[in-house]
Amino acid sequence: MGKTTTSAAFASGLALRGFKTAVIDFDVGLRNLDLIMGCERRVVYDFVNVINGEARLNQALIKDKHCENLFVLPASQTRDKEALTEEGVEAVIRELEHMGFDYVVCDSPAGIERGAIMALTFADEAIVTTNPEVSSVRDSDRILGILQSKSRRAAEGREPVKEHLLLTRYSPKRVDDGEMLSYKDVQELLRVPLIGVIPESESVLHASNQGTPAIHLKGTDVSEAYTDVVSRFLGEDRPLRFVNYDKPGLIKRLFGGK
Amino acid sequence: MSVAPAPATRPIEFRNATLDSTIAVLRVADAPALADALHKMLGGMPDFFNGEATVLDFAELADPPQRIDWPGLLSLLKRFRLQPIGVRNLTPPLAETARQAGLALLDAAELSEPPPESARPAPAVAEAEAPPTPAPAAARVEPAPAQVDTLFVDRPLRSGQQVYARGGDIVLLAGMSNGAEVIADGSIHCYGPLRGRAIAGAQGNASARIVTTNFGPEIVSIAGVYKTFEQGIAESLAGKAAHVRMVMNGTEQKLGIESLALD
Ligand SMILES: Nc1ncnc2c1ncn2[C@@H]1O[C@H](COP(=O)(O)OP(=O)(O)O)[C@@H](O)[C@H]1O
Ligand SMILES: [Mg+2]
Repeated sequence: MGKTTTSAAFASGLALRGFKTAVIDFDVGLRNLDLIMGCERRVVYDFVNVINGEARLNQALIKDKHCENLFVLPASQTRDKEALTEEGVEAVIRELEHMGFDYVVCDSPAGIERGAIMALTFADEAIVTTNPEVSSVRDSDRILGILQSKSRRAAEGREPVKEHLLLTRYSPKRVDDGEMLSYKDVQELLRVPLIGVIPESESVLHASNQGTPAIHLKGTDVSEAYTDVVSRFLGEDRPLRFVNYDKPGLIKRLFGGK
Repeated sequence: MSVAPAPATRPIEFRNATLDSTIAVLRVADAPALADALHKMLGGMPDFFNGEATVLDFAELADPPQRIDWPGLLSLLKRFRLQPIGVRNLTPPLAETARQAGLALLDAAELSEPPPESARPAPAVAEAEAPPTPAPAAARVEPAPAQVDTLFVDRPLRSGQQVYARGGDIVLLAGMSNGAEVIADGSIHCYGPLRGRAIAGAQGNASARIVTTNFGPEIVSIAGVYKTFEQGIAESLAGKAAHVRMVMNGTEQKLGIESLALD
């Protein structure tokens, strides 16, 4: 899928633009975000400890190694999912607000269980991450419905959560070969504004092995694509890139090369 | 001096509510047989339901059993993401065992007119055991035409969501997705893609229609007469403006689909 990869890159991108940002792992029991952020050895307290009052929020927040103004709130690997209470999550998000955070990025687990609901309950905006496959699009459709019925904004009858569609693991060649849905197909099915298309790339694997969010791998398509996403989120215009497949020309086919 | 607590500070308060619930008409009460039937019906959509409150109706029980395995039955329904809350139309001894299993005993009168089960493809259970009789739509008495507001849905209806326009029409202003379901006692008007299940005339009104600017449903139904699209939708209709209505084919009712010229 790519939700955690995206949360890490997006939160880092906001921090690189100067915003004080926190990224919270809601995947209790799995704990992935800290690996991708490369801070797994520095986890002492986690989100559930804070909710249970066993640690203070500023004891649990881990300062990112790349960005001065980015903090990670890791998930617990051992607790059960019921530990995320709505009051607890709300209290943590409110406290982050009081601490002067500009953005709080909530990395949702898969599915529609408690963790996912808690991750979207307090959202102002949602980046729905989808792969160009029918089943993934269906799941995203479902989560969009839940977003508009279970979020606080919906419950209180306020302005609805603002939706963005992010398509990731996109392979223009496979779209060209008819093996994947095109970004236009996905957008037609979901009818949510597209905030970006992230290409399928090995650099994501390298990034996660190094514990470095993919946006930091300068010069790669993935880093550029995530940088565009952050810019669009901040209201800037960026043309869509990495969506067209250029068939290799004759010379390339004759002499190989990549 | 002590002051009686203001009503707002009472730790518990009771209010009347009409409950929106799904009715499951069970024609067998045997959990394994139901499991088979549910699996067959919802095979493609194991999460068709979304924790809906469900009333179990035993009026059409083919062969009333001596006892019902409530724990088995309840856990089966919960596995399919239904939340049983009560029962109706059970014999008194069986009703008593239902009560002991924590279910409410409900009368038809306590439920405000739900769409008849014959008009609902999904909740009518136990197809494998006893094929449901065709919808007796023609025989149904038309409810007195009360003035009912049209129900407007401003946002896209998403997979897993369901709306029911009781007694009237529904207007979908942002289309609906595959895996969503819209039910109306009157007609369905859909601006944008109609992609899920569209059930019009749910109380038997055969003159209800389904109208859309972008035709692409999984299933359409009017007054209990269905049409599915397993072989896909004709190219002349797919994605186009179209409407569905009941037509007579000799003495047989069937659904006719025609494209609409929008301008
Ligand atoms: N753009 C991409 N290109 C290639 N692989 C990717 C890309 N994005 C994510 N992945 C891989 O997909 C897998 C799941 O990613 P992750 O971000 O953990 O997803 P989620 O949090 O949705 O489960 C990981 O192995 C990750 O390396
Ligand atoms: Mg994840």
